[in-house]
Amino acid sequence: MARQNGPASGAPDDQTRTRYLDPDEVRVFRDEDGRLFATVAEELTVLRPRFLRVHPLTDPDRYLAIVGPDPEGKDFGLLRNWRRLDRESRDIVNGELNRRYLHPVVKRIMSLRDYFGVAVCVFDTDRGLREATLRDVRDNVIYLGQSRILLTDAEGNRYDIRDVGALDAASKAMLAEVL
Amino acid sequence: MVVEDDSLPKSVRDALPGVASSSIRLSAEADLATDGRFGERWVVLADDRVLTVASEDGEARVQRDLALTDIDEFKLESLVGGGVLQAVVDGREVDLISYTNALSKRFADVRTQLEAALKDKPIPEAPDRIFRCPKCGMVLGERTRVCVRCVRRGAMLRRLLSYARPYRAGLALVSVLMIAAAAFGLVPPWLTKILVDDVLIPKANPHLLGWLVFGLLASSVLSTVLAIWRGRVAAWLGGRTSLDIRAELYDRLQWMSLRYFDHHPTGTLVSRLTQDSGGVQDFLAFGLPWVASNLIIVFGVAGAIFALNWKLALLVLVPAPLVALLTRSLIRRVRLAFHKFWYGWSRFHTIVNDALGRVKIVKAFTRELDEIERFRFRNMELFGASVQAEQTFATFFPIIGFAVMSGSLLVWYFGGRLVIGDAGLSVGGLMAFLAYLAMLYGPLHGLAQSAQWMSRAMTAAERIFEVLDSEDYVERAPGKTVPEELRGEVEFQKVTFGYEKSQPVLKEVSFEAEADRMVGLVGKSGVGKTTVINLLCRFYDPDEGQVLVDGVDIRDLDLGAYRGHIGAVLQEPLMFSATIAENIAYGRPDATTEDIIAAAKAANAHNFIIKKPDGYDEQVGERGDKLSSGEKQRVSIARAILRDPKILILDEATANVDLETEELIQEALARLIEGRTTFTIAHRLSTLRNAHKLLVLEEGKVAEFGTHEELAKSKGVYSRLLNIFRKTSRVRAVDG
Ligand SMILES: Nc1ncnc2c1ncn2[C@@H]1O[C@H](COP(=O)(O)OP(=O)(O)O)[C@@H](O)[C@H]1O
Ligand SMILES: [Mg+2]
Repeated sequence: MARQNGPASGAPDDQTRTRYLDPDEVRVFRDEDGRLFATVAEELTVLRPRFLRVHPLTDPDRYLAIVGPDPEGKDFGLLRNWRRLDRESRDIVNGELNRRYLHPVVKRIMSLRDYFGVAVCVFDTDRGLREATLRDVRDNVIYLGQSRILLTDAEGNRYDIRDVGALDAASKAMLAEVL
Repeated sequence: MVVEDDSLPKSVRDALPGVASSSIRLSAEADLATDGRFGERWVVLADDRVLTVASEDGEARVQRDLALTDIDEFKLESLVGGGVLQAVVDGREVDLISYTNALSKRFADVRTQLEAALKDKPIPEAPDRIFRCPKCGMVLGERTRVCVRCVRRGAMLRRLLSYARPYRAGLALVSVLMIAAAAFGLVPPWLTKILVDDVLIPKANPHLLGWLVFGLLASSVLSTVLAIWRGRVAAWLGGRTSLDIRAELYDRLQWMSLRYFDHHPTGTLVSRLTQDSGGVQDFLAFGLPWVASNLIIVFGVAGAIFALNWKLALLVLVPAPLVALLTRSLIRRVRLAFHKFWYGWSRFHTIVNDALGRVKIVKAFTRELDEIERFRFRNMELFGASVQAEQTFATFFPIIGFAVMSGSLLVWYFGGRLVIGDAGLSVGGLMAFLAYLAMLYGPLHGLAQSAQWMSRAMTAAERIFEVLDSEDYVERAPGKTVPEELRGEVEFQKVTFGYEKSQPVLKEVSFEAEADRMVGLVGKSGVGKTTVINLLCRFYDPDEGQVLVDGVDIRDLDLGAYRGHIGAVLQEPLMFSATIAENIAYGRPDATTEDIIAAAKAANAHNFIIKKPDGYDEQVGERGDKLSSGEKQRVSIARAILRDPKILILDEATANVDLETEELIQEALARLIEGRTTFTIAHRLSTLRNAHKLLVLEEGKVAEFGTHEELAKSKGVYSRLLNIFRKTSRVRAVDG
């Protein structure tokens, strides 16, 4: 079947085929009213595009999908490396990603107290200090590879510990208490 | 209505320009700054202005100040890890305030409130969504009001013990036995002392020898018998108490609402029933009696050695706390190592279980070698953890033994000097002293650990009480209407519902189904068809609006009686690990064999069932794994039919059977739906040809509702679907 139809040559509306976008042909900007646009190779303008990471956890900086604003989220293509966008576009995309992915990365555990299996701790994260209540820690931890863990607290917030081994000794000891 | 929020800090209130306190209608705190860092932010509705305020180090600053009249709409955008409240101004979204997941429910309510203000409607009261302890501010578990930080150990222990209250007599008996056993345990060293001092050393009083030996025998026998008796009674008490706790826990779990199960994976609930209740049982049956009897022994022994020689007693008791502390810290390290090991074990278990349980897919993709490699890695990891744990144990345990031993060396030396110098201690006294000392260190050593046991048991108890205290069960309040007969008129009135409140799946859905007629539900997968059914079955309650049956809100009906009138073939045909007959009769356990056969016949299941080697007695296996999905569906249709319900629900009931079988089932169903209000969900539109009305859902809303003819003519969603369907079924006719 596919052969008869011939491969659609990256037709923008072919939703079964991946289109890789060249960073040079993509431009992201805001108009004077502050509305967000993305243009792809002068052929296509997306109003209010959303930038979605393909691997938000394991490879956040590569593979970025540009999708439409509607709930269906029409896919306009993938950027292999969005950091190669022109400067203005890159800054906007960076801001959008920062806004969408509220993903605190833990640098240090300031304190941790365990009350019958409910641990109250203060994390020092790249987004500032935050007190978190961890319940049933062992049920709410996800291991990503060897020494990276994601903790989900009682309120549904997630905390990323990129490398448990690289934490300072005090933090490590506190973590070992509950894991 | 003025919704005053006292929690608005004074600094924030003062920062609002030209806003009188009395004009504040609404305020809510958020936890993210615009740059995505954690920070305190406020959104305030004052008169008809919406303001956002940033508060940093007690200094507040207004960030946005919008007039309500400029705003078209309030929106929530859900982000990864949180969300943002937006105002639509001139057709453009303006971010007002961002929040983390912790506040997403709260802001769903805030949006509803702001929308109401926008439409000049009274601002609805928002439920309290932040489950924090009013005393210490700690986040509480899903819908419980009990704070572990504020509940003291004592209170928790009392609550645990309150389960033993019905068995007071047994408890009293155990206490008496415990004291008696400990008392008799103290006798032998004392008799030894008399034996040595008054008989052996002076080589005198031969008549005493027999009596003393008999006394030794008698006291040992007595204390042994008492210990056995105590142990047996305590085991019964502990077992009985945890039986009661388990029963209460299971009872509560069975009545929990589905929402609760959405938020608690089955695995954790199972571990509460098994591991945690086991932990509590260990504590009640062994731990607590052990601690109590050892405390009695410690005090008894302490009394005895002080009576023998108080100076020497002081000398050995002074280092005792030190030894206990040292032991404790060593044990702690051993425990940590073992903890890691046990946890590694359980992860190992999960992985093996996963791989072997899904062996079919491993084989289908020829991933055996990778699985072996993955296993090898885990296995090595486990090896490392176990070696570490065992080596830590092997190192520290002898050290602990030595520490304990060294106490008796002190006694040998200083006690020996007292004996030699005739300074108030006899040889027998020294021997008795050493014997008592040996009795003392064991319990002391254990008591040092008992804090650890306690906290483990309290942790288990906490997890159990969290379930017991959860307010998330379906209320079975008595005094509700028990519907004997239903006419079967169903009406949805502006029903809005979401599994997560912030993301409504159904939006203001309204329709009316006449009694004894069939309604077909149509819409893309994921649009909310099953959700409509879930609400009708009252698996969930609507967030807004009402579901009426015969004009009565189903929340006012007795739940059990109401569900008794519903027969549902759910989208996933769930099976119990039992026989086919038992699975069919699940909804009507009193059904006769002939009823079951009739139902199976009607569901077109009879023929395949009797061909099974064990016929109706065939075991369906775990989750019905031994049946094909089409077979499972037919069994569950039979189950619904057997119940003879007034309201019949068929959620993609024939999706997994071939066309021919479907024809047959359709025929059977056509007979069955007579006299019942039926809801059918199906992707093949031909399945719906008997439907009186069709309900077409699109994006959570009712797109169309009417008869087949009306909708076919209207050129709407349904007629479009009909065209697609005609095309594909023509293809199928040609292909077939
Ligand atoms: N238990 C649940 N928890 C959270 N979301 C759910 C749950 N069940 C269904 N959903 C979501 O609700 C939406 C509607 O689902 P459903 O009613 O099952 O659709 P369908 O029309 O295919 O039967 C889907 O987006 C689905 O992912
Ligand atoms: Mg469904």
